[in-house]
Amino acid sequence: MVNFTVEEIRALMDKAANIRNMSVIAHVDHGKSTLTDSLVQRAGIISAAKAGDARFTDTRPDEQERGVTIKSTAISLYGKLTDEEDLKDVPVKVDKNDFLINLIDSPGHVDFSSEVTAALRVTDGALVVVDTIEGVCVQTETVLRQALGERIKPVLIINKVDRALLELQLSKEDLYQNFCRAIESVNVVIATYFDKALGDVQVYPDKGTIAFGSGLHGWAFTVRQFANRYAKKFGVDKNKMMERLWGDNYFNPKTKKWTKNADAGERAFNQFILDPIFKIFASVMNFKKDDTTKILEKLEIKLTNEEKELEGKQLLKVVMRKFLPAADALLEMMILHLPSPIQAQKYRMETLYEGPPDDENAIAIRDCDPKGPLMLYVSKMVPTSDKGRFYAFGRVFAGTVRSGLKVRIQGPNYTPGKKEDLFVKAVQRTILMMGRYVEPIEDVPAGNILGLVGVDQFLLKSGTLTTNETAHNLKVMKFSVSPVVQRSVEVKNANDLPKLVEGLKRLSKSDPCVLTFINESGEHIVAGAGELHLEICLKDLEEDHAGVPLRVSDPVVQYRESVSAKSSITALSKSPNKHNRLYVIAEPLSEEVSKEIEAGKIGPRDDFKARARVLADEHGWDVTDARKIWAFGPDTTGANLVVDQTKAVQYLNEIKDSVVSGFQWATKEGPVAEEPMRSIRFNIMDVTLHADAIHRGGGQIIPTARRVLYAATLLADPCLLEPVYLVEIQVPEQAMGGIYGVLTRRRGHVFEEAQRPGTPLFNIKAYLPVNESFGFTADLRSNTAGQAFPQSVFDHWQQLSGGSPLDKTSKPGQIVEEMRKRKGIKPEVPGVENYYDKL
Amino acid sequence: MVESSSDEILADADKVDVAFLVVGDPFGATTHTDLLLRARSLSIPHATVPNASILTSIGCTGLQLYNFGQTVSMVFFTDSWRPSSFYDRLLENCSLGLHTLILLDIKVREPSLENLARGRMVYEPPRFMSVAQCAQQMLEVEEERGEGVCGRERLAVGVARVGSEGQKIVAGTLKQLAEADLGPPLHSLVLLGKRTHDLEREFLADFAVEREGFEGIWRKDYEGR
Repeated sequence: MVNFTVEEIRALMDKAANIRNMSVIAHVDHGKSTLTDSLVQRAGIISAAKAGDARFTDTRPDEQERGVTIKSTAISLYGKLTDEEDLKDVPVKVDKNDFLINLIDSPGHVDFSSEVTAALRVTDGALVVVDTIEGVCVQTETVLRQALGERIKPVLIINKVDRALLELQLSKEDLYQNFCRAIESVNVVIATYFDKALGDVQVYPDKGTIAFGSGLHGWAFTVRQFANRYAKKFGVDKNKMMERLWGDNYFNPKTKKWTKNADAGERAFNQFILDPIFKIFASVMNFKKDDTTKILEKLEIKLTNEEKELEGKQLLKVVMRKFLPAADALLEMMILHLPSPIQAQKYRMETLYEGPPDDENAIAIRDCDPKGPLMLYVSKMVPTSDKGRFYAFGRVFAGTVRSGLKVRIQGPNYTPGKKEDLFVKAVQRTILMMGRYVEPIEDVPAGNILGLVGVDQFLLKSGTLTTNETAHNLKVMKFSVSPVVQRSVEVKNANDLPKLVEGLKRLSKSDPCVLTFINESGEHIVAGAGELHLEICLKDLEEDHAGVPLRVSDPVVQYRESVSAKSSITALSKSPNKHNRLYVIAEPLSEEVSKEIEAGKIGPRDDFKARARVLADEHGWDVTDARKIWAFGPDTTGANLVVDQTKAVQYLNEIKDSVVSGFQWATKEGPVAEEPMRSIRFNIMDVTLHADAIHRGGGQIIPTARRVLYAATLLADPCLLEPVYLVEIQVPEQAMGGIYGVLTRRRGHVFEEAQRPGTPLFNIKAYLPVNESFGFTADLRSNTAGQAFPQSVFDHWQQLSGGSPLDKTSKPGQIVEEMRKRKGIKPEVPGVENYYDKL
Repeated sequence: MVESSSDEILADADKVDVAFLVVGDPFGATTHTDLLLRARSLSIPHATVPNASILTSIGCTGLQLYNFGQTVSMVFFTDSWRPSSFYDRLLENCSLGLHTLILLDIKVREPSLENLARGRMVYEPPRFMSVAQCAQQMLEVEEERGEGVCGRERLAVGVARVGSEGQKIVAGTLKQLAEADLGPPLHSLVLLGKRTHDLEREFLADFAVEREGFEGIWRKDYEGR
């Protein structure tokens, strides 16, 4: 039975101190959904018997089938601490032992990390799941980094401890060392992304921020729980006990003395915590019924008669679940150590809000004020059962939203005071997201996660909802992946075309990261983060959004156009009326700067003085140049810059907008193959303008700016950049040979190879061009007898070697020609004389 | 058209005669100089036939052509693009007490800036600036710059369709002109300088929106200064 009602949840929503918004994040297959089950089970939504297998939050049939989470799914749960005494340890003052846990289960596969980003935005804490055996993997690191970037506090659970015991048969000390290694690697990542405002958020077992357990079997424990048990027995303070139960603390049973010396006895953690668990495992798995009964009595675990009949793993599951219920450990950790919205929004406000940090809206967010102006961020769209409609999923940061409230819907391109990307509409209904179900709810105050009905048509993917006219946007999410793989789709049956167009619109709405557009030659293109992501998207498109049979092309990789030298001469272009002249030089932007721009560390919205400081101090720019950055592009955020280096040109600011428009246009479609540009710095050296404003309007300047940028690029040794994956492969030693073969054939190379201590598994890290990655997984499996498991993440852009892309006989030249043919433009790259005007 | 396909226009000009028709005087606007320069560099023989132009026919307002200063153009302002360099010209003319002829923007067959930036050649419907809009934009810029060159009480003359049968002339303060409707295009505007002649007043008073007020301001701010 569900042990709470919507009314109860609604009542809890008003007590922000009793709310915990959290996401579950981890590497793929480390057991997020399975662990989530134990919490869902505690809330009575699924039965205990099914927990661990049901994967309640995997709502889609294909998620269940593949056993992999694709979409992040939210669920609101009611929880309470088992021991009222523990309330004192909650860092904020709470008066009731009732807590509302808004939990989001996120996908672990890198291709879907945009879903993780959307989940993190609306939560304040994260439960990081790490597999005992595999340890910290590449995606663990990525999601942890994302979480810290959003100022989200992590707690850790080391999962799949049952495997370490049953499969690897580790000894107690080995297991302890294993835990230590995993914790250390997590803390290294946390320390790397240290954020002053968030404070030190490293995790320690003796602080209670780490749990150990098995999601599949439904048990978990924290050191704190054991400290509680033993504190009474030893008659010492609980906190002191916690410290003793981890690290180099030993207990000598004979002298009854605690020492720091290993000779004296067994490590306390092994002796007091692991020992009972090991004993249970040993007796149950070796079918020693008598021993089992004795232990159960000692631990005061009562079994029903039915359960007593069970044997082996089944019995183990039941016993462990009664001994150390996972939900208890998790709830305790979440309630005690994850921040409530009140705490979290204090330090998150400045990273969330675009406007000034002291205006009315910012203060309402900071204080998590349910009476302030509404500030709500919609982070993603969730498809409803009603085809083509979506729930807008988001979080109320300030104010209260209720059904029927008239709100301003501000898209990502909205600027205060303008009317672009703005709708004023009423919220039809507010709902509570409950995994597979939704529950209608009257209103939702600040600090809560919810779904909205009736605003989906006015938002593309995400946006800000507010009631205050002066409100700026909440910051747009920065995704760690970009859609680098694309395929074109067409309908098999020409009559279905309108359905495809409609379906593409829906697809683009339902996924935070997918990109759909029509290219020059009129093909419909779907771009995704990786092969799997694209496959899922296309499947959704075919079966769900469009519902018509489709023909899909082979995957195509997006390239970038860049330059490898400074323009050989200053490029000059004249406006159509010949009265205005622009002089520009292109040069490569350093890789570090490009990466910082792409990571959002340097951006168009920074204060120009602060930005100039960073560029000058860290990247060796000239300060005066750095202050005169006109724009970033393409899309106003890309890693290309246009810098004003002119001296004393009158009315230059009047053409700035036109030049920037031309720059955005040019950087979106470069001169070589109409691919986006990357990592180019354009310096405007000089400008000649007509004396009269009418002759230097946009119509004159925009096309001229584009032409001069093209000319400058072509004069600066243009090159192509291809995307490269970082591939992490886990493989047993004997199958390693196959990996090298496959990688070499695909222009990949291994740069790190390490054995996982205590296992026969090797961890291989390699770089692999995305272009060569299609079918890589299948190829790898067949060459390693199915023993290698790769994970690919987009890592960096790499110059395509083998000659100039302008030379048709070189490899890049051929790729360019092919690309141009595909796009339906003439196969030859237009020469610089098309853009360069002689003086 | 003239700008982007001058090569086409000149394509066979060395063999056949090409005539090129222009509204107003051929060199009244600077644009067509380029066509001539190109013809010259291709050694194509050419001849120019001058025509009546607003630059001279603005004399129909009764203002003396001798007393005009630099001519300026007024463009359609957008949200982010509001060039105010014309203000400096006005200021210069004003300091010498000269009239300023303001030519008003026309947009015939031009793509919107948004489309232009995306490379789509979708043309907007033609637009012609009216005297009222020009006066309004001048008042806005005056508010930003505040040097008293084109305030609400400055006198100006708006003209429409000069030389045609429906020619219309309206004189008044900029504020009055900002509300005046002069009918269909084309429009031009003259901002009066202070070096005026009585004859000019007499001539203009007939066109005034409100005669009394016009003459009052004239006597107060213009006459004899």
